[in-house]
Amino acid sequence: MELFDLFNYALGIRALIASILVGLMCGVLGCFIVLRNMSLVGDALAHAVLPGVVVGFVVGGAGVMAIFTGAVVAGLITAALITWIQHNVKTKNDAAIGIVFTAMFSIGVMWISKVAREGAHLDLDHFLFGNVLGLSDSDLYLTAGITVYVLLSVVLFYRYLFATTFQPVIAETMGISVKTIHYYLMLLLSFAVVASMQAVGVILVVAMLITPASTALLLTNRLKYMLVISGGIGVLASVIGLIITDFYNTTPGPAMAVTATLFYLLAVFFAPQKGLLFKFLYKRKTRKRIQFEDTLKQTLKLHERSSLSFLNLKERLGFNTNTLKYNLNLLRQRGLISRGKNVLAITPEGIKQATRLVRAHRLWETYLVQEMSMDAGQIHDEAEKFEHVLTDELMDEIEANLSYPKLDPHGAPIPQNDYQPEKSLSSLAINTVAEVAENQLNNYLVTRLWQLGIGHDESFKVMNKTEDFIEIQIDDEHLKVPVTLADKVNVEI
Amino acid sequence: MSAISIKGLSVSYDRKTVLTNIYMDVAPGELYGVLGPNGAGKSTLFKAILGLIPVNTGQVLINGQSIENQRKKMVYIPQKGEVDWQFPATVMDVVMMGRYPFKRILQRLNEEDENIAMQALRDMGIDHLRDRQIGELSGGQQQRVFIARALCQQADIFLMDEPFVGVDIKTEQKIIEILKQLRSEGKTILVIHHDLSKVQDYFNKVILLNQWLVAYGDTEEVFTEENINRAYRGQLNILHKTSLH
Repeated sequence: MELFDLFNYALGIRALIASILVGLMCGVLGCFIVLRNMSLVGDALAHAVLPGVVVGFVVGGAGVMAIFTGAVVAGLITAALITWIQHNVKTKNDAAIGIVFTAMFSIGVMWISKVAREGAHLDLDHFLFGNVLGLSDSDLYLTAGITVYVLLSVVLFYRYLFATTFQPVIAETMGISVKTIHYYLMLLLSFAVVASMQAVGVILVVAMLITPASTALLLTNRLKYMLVISGGIGVLASVIGLIITDFYNTTPGPAMAVTATLFYLLAVFFAPQKGLLFKFLYKRKTRKRIQFEDTLKQTLKLHERSSLSFLNLKERLGFNTNTLKYNLNLLRQRGLISRGKNVLAITPEGIKQATRLVRAHRLWETYLVQEMSMDAGQIHDEAEKFEHVLTDELMDEIEANLSYPKLDPHGAPIPQNDYQPEKSLSSLAINTVAEVAENQLNNYLVTRLWQLGIGHDESFKVMNKTEDFIEIQIDDEHLKVPVTLADKVNVEI
Repeated sequence: MSAISIKGLSVSYDRKTVLTNIYMDVAPGELYGVLGPNGAGKSTLFKAILGLIPVNTGQVLINGQSIENQRKKMVYIPQKGEVDWQFPATVMDVVMMGRYPFKRILQRLNEEDENIAMQALRDMGIDHLRDRQIGELSGGQQQRVFIARALCQQADIFLMDEPFVGVDIKTEQKIIEILKQLRSEGKTILVIHHDLSKVQDYFNKVILLNQWLVAYGDTEEVFTEENINRAYRGQLNILHKTSLH
């Protein structure tokens, strides 16, 4: 069928609309299925509606509503059976799912064959792989109705779905019935399966449920965004799948599932942060950065000893000539060193950046000794690795946690940033009453104060000052603030 | 009236008895350490109090009423290991959960809820982390998120299962301070705890458990070598490391 023809026919339009609806609904609902580790249950439910379809067909005279009702009832019975076995019989959870759905599916297949042999117009293939191009108007209305219902349910009951998916036990203690939400989700899932049956078929519904959702999970860290992204990918996959069907004259369901898988593969490789390519590039970049930073740091060290030269650098770093030349060129391009004839010098900017590395190294050493109780002798190698990993943010946090130490465990000075508060706590005289100012160096300093029991806008009185501590009084409580920390705390009188 | 009153409670899993015939009255406005060896039934006791598991025999009353009536008066902080840290949820998402019990079905969370949540975040010193995914936090920060949520729930009874696992010592001490503060506001707090060396500093009451109730009451009276030996039976070597006199 030509594309032109397809979209000119009511059948084609119906197919397109149904595919968009199914893609959207399955994408959104699938997020909860994936996050609840219920992918197999989704697959099971999709297969197990088959006997319900036959009952609806035989008893209800092939009406859309009869088939719908039969399928949903079969879906719920399956969900209940699976749960019952999991709770009452000593069978493994996934085995219980497999046993129930294969049994239901088999009964359905046998029954359809029998009914079909007796002359009824019931095509097994349409249920298994869909028949999106054979949709009637009433099929389409049903699909639209179900989609609206499912999406509305997700929006209205979002917080119940979120809570029971994230922490079912906590949800239970909050008075949310986890069981009710579970069965409601199973009901929605049965609805989605029935609505998708015509578009993709029962065997591939699970692909529309879990593939877009898994793709979305690689792209975001927030459930709300995940729902939107997954729904969007579901729509794209079904529309593109339908176009592929038209071009290559193939079956719609599998074309949609394959398209969804392609989106998934794209995300696996190219997702920012969670993608494999990102991870690979990040590793490579890190390796190169470590070489670069090591070169910079050793340049500073040799500069401080007035013995900065190519050969000395080469010996200290253990790089081959080309690697060292490459890194020195990079340093020069970034204005961190200057190179004349046989002369090598570090620029002020170079000193600044190298000092940052020294700061990371010494802070980490101090952290390992003070917080992890490691021996001063065993920390150097650890710090050599970590100085390249520590972000400025993390350094600020560690520094605050250690109360802004001035010396590392080997007695070497830790370079600090030159922040000076307008009025520091350590500058206050004994008996001064003051309060911690709103405006502080950073949030880590605020957290450190919080750990000590000093909230902002709490007023305190300076009681005593020693070499190491400043003692203050808040309400009736006496607190000792290390002087190194007090130097950084901004106060108002 | 007791905050929690337990009468003849027995619980078993798969025919294996975990708790036997517990009678206990938890006084309101006290900070309890719940102690006992592995498998003593500490977590099971919590779950029975919360009405999360079926009990064989016995009865649990909360503020003199059935658990169902008093659900919203209790808040549970589970072990860190029971949480899916990869879940796509932010700190704010999690803390806002503490407002769910105040909402009728279909009622939306509003600005007031958000303000309460923000205040709890500030109280715990993590307001700057509100938009972080929970897996990106340190152990201490993660525990603070759950305590912030508990504060939002404005409950009377706090049940905390090993809140200090994977938490740095500074944060641990700060959390204990907050618990003592809550206690002075009249809250009842039960904490499952493993480190016997700090019991005297942390808790003014203890519950010693080993499938049956060994002893409970004021820390000075109950936390004695004799009682601890009875609770820990074959695991006496643990005690040598503690600061017991």
